[in-house]
Amino acid sequence: MRNLISAELLKLRTTKSFWAYVASIVVFVPVSIALSITVGNDQNPLTTSDGIRGVFSAASSGLLMAVLIGITMSAGEFRNNTATPTFLITPDRRRVMAAKVLAGSILGVLLAAISAVLTVAVATPWLHARNVDVNLLSADVITPIAGALLSLALGVIFGIGIGGLIPNQTIAITVLVVWSSIIEALLTGFVPAVGRWLPTGAASALGGTWTIEGGLLTFWPAALVLALYSAAAAAAGTHLITRKDMT
Amino acid sequence: MATIEFHGLSKRFGDITAVDGLSFSARQGAVTGFLGPNGAGKSTTLRMLLGLVTPSEGSATIDGNRYADLDEPFRRVGAMLETDAFHPGRRAREHLRILATAAALPATRVDAVLEEVDLVDAGHRRVKGFSLGMRQRLGLASALLGDPTVLILDEPANGLDPDGVRWLRQFVRTFAGRGGTVLLSSHVLAEVAQTVDDVVIVAAGRLVAQSSLADLANRSRPGVRVRTPQVTALHDALTTRGIRVQLVADDALVALDSTPETLGLAAAAVGAVIYEMTPEHFNLEEIYLELTATDEASQ
Repeated sequence: MRNLISAELLKLRTTKSFWAYVASIVVFVPVSIALSITVGNDQNPLTTSDGIRGVFSAASSGLLMAVLIGITMSAGEFRNNTATPTFLITPDRRRVMAAKVLAGSILGVLLAAISAVLTVAVATPWLHARNVDVNLLSADVITPIAGALLSLALGVIFGIGIGGLIPNQTIAITVLVVWSSIIEALLTGFVPAVGRWLPTGAASALGGTWTIEGGLLTFWPAALVLALYSAAAAAAGTHLITRKDMT
Repeated sequence: MATIEFHGLSKRFGDITAVDGLSFSARQGAVTGFLGPNGAGKSTTLRMLLGLVTPSEGSATIDGNRYADLDEPFRRVGAMLETDAFHPGRRAREHLRILATAAALPATRVDAVLEEVDLVDAGHRRVKGFSLGMRQRLGLASALLGDPTVLILDEPANGLDPDGVRWLRQFVRTFAGRGGTVLLSSHVLAEVAQTVDDVVIVAAGRLVAQSSLADLANRSRPGVRVRTPQVTALHDALTTRGIRVQLVADDALVALDSTPETLGLAAAAVGAVIYEMTPEHFNLEEIYLELTATDEASQ
C-alpha cells in the first residue's frame, strides 16, 4: 500500500495541472484575507470573534481546488488512459482507490498546513497594523485552522469519489462547479435550513465562514456531515470503478 | 512454463457480442499471432485476459490462473495495449518511474528498459512530443519494466516504420527464444508472418483457425495457371474430370487442386496448345482474407 500511495503522489507531482492548483491555493489565501480585512463583513467587524474567524477562514480557501485535485486523481487516469497500466499493476481496483484516498488525505492535510502557515504569516501583521492583536492559540484561530485541515483532506477524498462516479474529467469538474457555486449557493441562500446540511455548507462551518443566515452547523456535526459525504462519494466511486470495463 | 489459455470466452456489450465462445491457447517459447480484421474482438479478448474487462462467460488464464489472481502480475506479464496510455505532460522517465514505484520495482529497471527499447536519449522528454513509433517503444518499455516472462502486445506494429517493424520482430523473436510466451495481435497477417510461430485467426468474435504458421501455409491447395488459346476446350476437359477451374483471362485459366501433370495430360487429350504453365504460388495473405471473409459472409 505504501508503494501505491507513493506512486499516487508521484503521479500528481509530475503533472503541471497539479502545480497550477497548488499555485492558485497559495494565491487564494492572501486574497481571501485581504477581502476579509478590507471589505469585511459589517456584521462581523474585526473586533468580534466572528470577524477574526472570518479572517482565518482563509486557511480553507483552497477547498474547491482540493476537490478538483481529487477529481484529477481519479478521472484524470481515464482521461489519459493511464488507468490501464495502473490496473495492470494492481488488478484489485479497491486497493488502487484506497491508495488514492490515503494519498489524497495526506495531500489535503499538507495543502491545509501550507495555507494555515500562509494565513498566519499574512493575517497576523496585517491585523496588528489595524490595532487588532490576535492570540494565535485562541479558538478563533485554532478552530478555522483545524477546520481547514479536516475540510481540505475530506475535500480531496470527495473529489476522488466524484471522479470515480463521473470518469469524464471535464464533465466531473463542470458538475462540481455548477453544483457548488450555483445550485448549492441558491439552496443555501433561499433555504438555509437545507443548505447547512449540504457539502459546501458543512465545509464553510468547518472553515469558520459565518455567512449563512440561520446559522451553520457547529464544528463537530459539520465535520461528521462532510466526512459522510466524502465517504459516500468515495465508496460509490470505488464501486463504479471496480465494475468498469476498461475497453 | 507460461501457457495462456482461453476457454469459451465471450463478451457482450448490450446487444453486441464482441467475443463469442473463443477457445485457444498460446504456448511457451513461441510467438502466437492473434489475427483478425478490425472489430473482430481481439482487443476485448486481450483485455479480458488481463482483467481489464470482465468476461460475460468463460475464462482466460495464464498458467491456470486468472491475471488478477497472479502474485505480482506485473512481474510475470507485460502488456502493451494502447499507444496513448501516457499523460502527455509527463516525461518518459517519469511515466516509468510511477509504474516502477507502484509495482515496487527498483529504479534501476527504468534505465534498463529505456535502454532495451533504445529510448535513453528521449527519457527526459515529455511524451506529447513523441512520434507514434516512440510511443510504441515507451509502451513496450512499460510492459518490460517488471521483467516478465509473458508479453501481450495489441497491434504492436501499428504506426511503426519498416525499421521499427524489423526491430520489433527481432525483439519479440529473442524474447520467445529465451523461453518467453508472446501473444501479439494484428489485423495484417503480412505484418507478422515473419514473426509468429503460431496463428490464431478470429473474425466477428469467433475462432476461425488455430494452427502453426507452417500448417496454415499448407492449407493452400496447389493450383496451376495455364495460358492457352483453347481456353474453352481445356476448361471443359478439366471440368469433366472433376477439376475446379477459374477463367482468369481471355487466354488463361487456373485449375485448383491440380498439378502440372494432370493439366498436361488433360491438354494433350484435347490437343490444346500450352503457351505457359505455372504452379500457383502460395499466398498466405489470400488464405487469411478468405478465412476471415467467409466468416463475415456467414453472419
